[in-house]
Amino acid sequence: MSAQLAPEDVLTDEGYAVVATAEDLHVTFRRNGKAIHALRGISLEIRRGEILGLVGESGSGKSVLGLTLLGLHGAGATISGRATVRGRDMVSATDAERRAVRVAHLGAVFQDPMTSLNPTMRVGRQVAEAAGSDEEALRLLRLVGVPEAESRMSAFPHELSGGLRQRVMIAMAVAGNPDLVIADEPTTALDVTVQAQVLRLLRTLRDELGCSVLMITHDLGVAAQIADRVAVMYAGRLAELGESDAVLRSSAHPYTLGLMRSRLTLGVDRTRALPALPGEVPSPAAPQPGCAFSPRCSVAGPDCAETSPEPVEVEPGHHSACLRPLAVVRSTDTVSPVALTARAEPAGIDQDTAALSLRSVVKTFGVGKGFGRKRTLHALRGVSLQVAQGESVALVGESGSGKSTLLRVAAGLETADSGEVELSGGSRPQMVFQDSGASLTPWMTVEQILGERVRDLGRAARAAKVREALSLVGLPAEVGAARATQLSGGQRQRVCLARATIVPPPVLLCDEPTSALDVSLAASVINLIARLRRELGMSVLFVTHDLSVARVVADRIAVMYLGQIVEIGASDRVTSAPLHPYTRSLVSAVPDVGLTPVILPGEPASPLNPPSGCAFHPRCADATESCQDTELGLRLQRVANDDVDRVACINIDLSHVPTPVYITPKGA
Amino acid sequence: MTQVRFVGQRFAAMVIIVLALAAAVFALQKMSPLDPVHARLGGQASQGAIAAERHALGLDRPIVTQFGHYLAGLVHGDLGDSYRTRRPVTTDLLAYVPATAELAATGLIIALVLAIAFAFASTLRVRGAGLFRLGLMLGASVPTFLLGVFGILLFYQHFGWLPASGRTSIGNAPTGPTHLLTLDGLLHGRPDVTWDALKHLLMPATAIALGPAVAIGRVLRSSLEGELSSDYVRTARAKGRSERQILLGHVVRNAVGAAVSMTGLQVGLMFAGVLVVEQVFGWPGLGLYIAESIPVADFPAIAGVTLLLGSAYVVINAAVDVIQAAADPRIRV
Repeated sequence: MSAQLAPEDVLTDEGYAVVATAEDLHVTFRRNGKAIHALRGISLEIRRGEILGLVGESGSGKSVLGLTLLGLHGAGATISGRATVRGRDMVSATDAERRAVRVAHLGAVFQDPMTSLNPTMRVGRQVAEAAGSDEEALRLLRLVGVPEAESRMSAFPHELSGGLRQRVMIAMAVAGNPDLVIADEPTTALDVTVQAQVLRLLRTLRDELGCSVLMITHDLGVAAQIADRVAVMYAGRLAELGESDAVLRSSAHPYTLGLMRSRLTLGVDRTRALPALPGEVPSPAAPQPGCAFSPRCSVAGPDCAETSPEPVEVEPGHHSACLRPLAVVRSTDTVSPVALTARAEPAGIDQDTAALSLRSVVKTFGVGKGFGRKRTLHALRGVSLQVAQGESVALVGESGSGKSTLLRVAAGLETADSGEVELSGGSRPQMVFQDSGASLTPWMTVEQILGERVRDLGRAARAAKVREALSLVGLPAEVGAARATQLSGGQRQRVCLARATIVPPPVLLCDEPTSALDVSLAASVINLIARLRRELGMSVLFVTHDLSVARVVADRIAVMYLGQIVEIGASDRVTSAPLHPYTRSLVSAVPDVGLTPVILPGEPASPLNPPSGCAFHPRCADATESCQDTELGLRLQRVANDDVDRVACINIDLSHVPTPVYITPKGA
Repeated sequence: MTQVRFVGQRFAAMVIIVLALAAAVFALQKMSPLDPVHARLGGQASQGAIAAERHALGLDRPIVTQFGHYLAGLVHGDLGDSYRTRRPVTTDLLAYVPATAELAATGLIIALVLAIAFAFASTLRVRGAGLFRLGLMLGASVPTFLLGVFGILLFYQHFGWLPASGRTSIGNAPTGPTHLLTLDGLLHGRPDVTWDALKHLLMPATAIALGPAVAIGRVLRSSLEGELSSDYVRTARAKGRSERQILLGHVVRNAVGAAVSMTGLQVGLMFAGVLVVEQVFGWPGLGLYIAESIPVADFPAIAGVTLLLGSAYVVINAAVDVIQAAADPRIRV
């Protein structure tokens, strides 16, 4: 954490201490005929030179606050209160004035750098639009660490990697030395190792340029990593505001406390169900009087449902909007305990009872159109994996690692080019996808969707089965009559799980089922998957990019890099004592409160052209010359005298004589 | 290298389409109950004359040989002789094509201008855009020939502003080098000819343009509106660019793709519209030519027109691909 800038220190310089403010800001807009109360009276200030982390779940209004400060709230919004930038109210300003403020004082970085850059304009021109000249654009691209900036000036966005695209966005944001950069989830679409690089870049730029940053994020770990102060929003209001350490380590608001407890880190107790916040975020279409968090709060009293609390200073510089005294909030376990049942004992990995067994699976895709121009994408380059009955295995890796392809091969949605896929029992595995909304047919009711899988039952038996499946995933029977669009994200993911388990499959395949969900919902879905697995005796193969999720859901973790497993072992061992250099950097890149990440340079190489030898060697700090040996196939070696832990690195001194388990065919 | 391959692919496609069209027209000719010899010689011809004519036309040879002969002619640009005019079909086509080309090109230009005006007016919520849209939709919903007839009644009969038929009213209009009267008039220093030709063009060209204008305009409008709410436009606004700079500098290039492919499709339909409209306005083009060829089963002529329009369609769609690739760097031809 860098030194705090006290307001009085900077007042002298150019005469301002506060870059931007929100003053009793209300923003309401109409969507589908309903009034959405996005912001309901929020006041805060962004100090000069500080990084303010704006944290909240979806629907909390954090992005709306950012857009209102940019003056990009759109014509349909009803706004009261003020949102000032360098003293200029962006709410009442004319379009021309807003543009002038944006040019002179503001920069913006948005979530998805692919869609946020114009796909048909060269990046040099896009940066120059903000920078004023090509020379300045080039200087900025160098400043944000774009390698070979001259040649990249004439590249189109699709020719750059995700990390480079976000660097280009940042170059545009800091063009013209803005006083405030508004960064709306700038790392959410990036891989975790790239996220660490981008966060460090934003901090460095703040230190060098002296601009303030409003860092909007749903990830408390990201906020902890980068922010000087943190503001927590809930249902369009400010819940808590203070120094990062104070807010995240000694939270004063029951909501922040709940978030911190349900948050998945590499340190949570994985033998118990996760303490998920009960209930869901209230709908911004129908705000209730009183404290919006009170229905989910364990210390709420009857007064909470009537009086809307204003933020008060509970400690110096630390504000919390809660009617209960600080001592009461902190002393109580504010999270209603969801049954803390012990997890199923990890099953022994018995090759004979493998529910799913993959041997030397190779899968390539042809990309590009036309004749003779196809390039080969090496999605899986010889993967072997056994999942025992009742076991849960997580596949972890960055984009392009092949983890989702492996899942689709296991599901039978893709056919392997070579290798074997064996499922015990013969009944098909079921899949749960990341985007629960898109994977439910919009015009069918939940009952019809679930009923499809038990079509041969009679009418009454089918209805009973559907009710049973819904109650198993904790949904009331009324949900059966609803369509997917009428459900919340958490409910939809539960429906997807009910569809997958209405006829219990031997293997449940999960493709990032929690990554689109908010922290509190993700925890409850993970708990649900663990319970279903135990009650139905299923094996689970779980794909995620998030090591802390993998650690909680899985008995074993397999780490993939460019189509190969580089390390596999017991979840605790892989996350606490990683062996492979890639796993080590993944573990250290997970942002968390009070941790300084070790930053891995570069980005994953393209699966169109995987490096020779160990594919990780171009990014590996320990790489030796022999790592790039083209003759070297990847060998997963036993770490110790057991069959669980294996790693593929020639530089690790394994105390036992390594026994090569299998060798991938060269060039496969 | 990729350009060479692209041209090669398109040329191959054209060859295949022409072959398929030729085979189809040829088969149609053989299945038709109409007898070209009968059509040429009339009902009173003697058996000997008929046999001699059959031999002269090559109709007494095996069908495969006839088709092979026809294809061999195609390679040399020989489409055979028209039964009706007794001239080489190629000569006839060269005489009729300029009129049709001029009409179709003018129609396309009018369609594009109307479509762009329509799309931008509704995207920018210009006053009167709704009325403009209503007028266009009304015009497009009326069949082309009826539109032509209404036009003639109104602008020729009633107001007398525009001529009702033909390409020109000037007797000594210059011919060549392009055979397009609007251009030839300029090239020969005769603006009166160009002006007169434009007046003749306006009604028939507008009649064929209204339908395509609505189709292209709607596609362009929806892509403009879609692009205007996209993330990169938000980025451009955050940079402080003006709406004008955003629309012209960012949005248009991203929005043209769908409109260009719609234009390619509409040009195909426009050919059909041209053939009808030429009847209504007595336009001396391919429509008139084929309308006179069909009743007398003049298959060489029908085949010639069919092959020409088919090839034009392939060329236009290749142009569509080139324009799209130029607009969007993610597409490579």
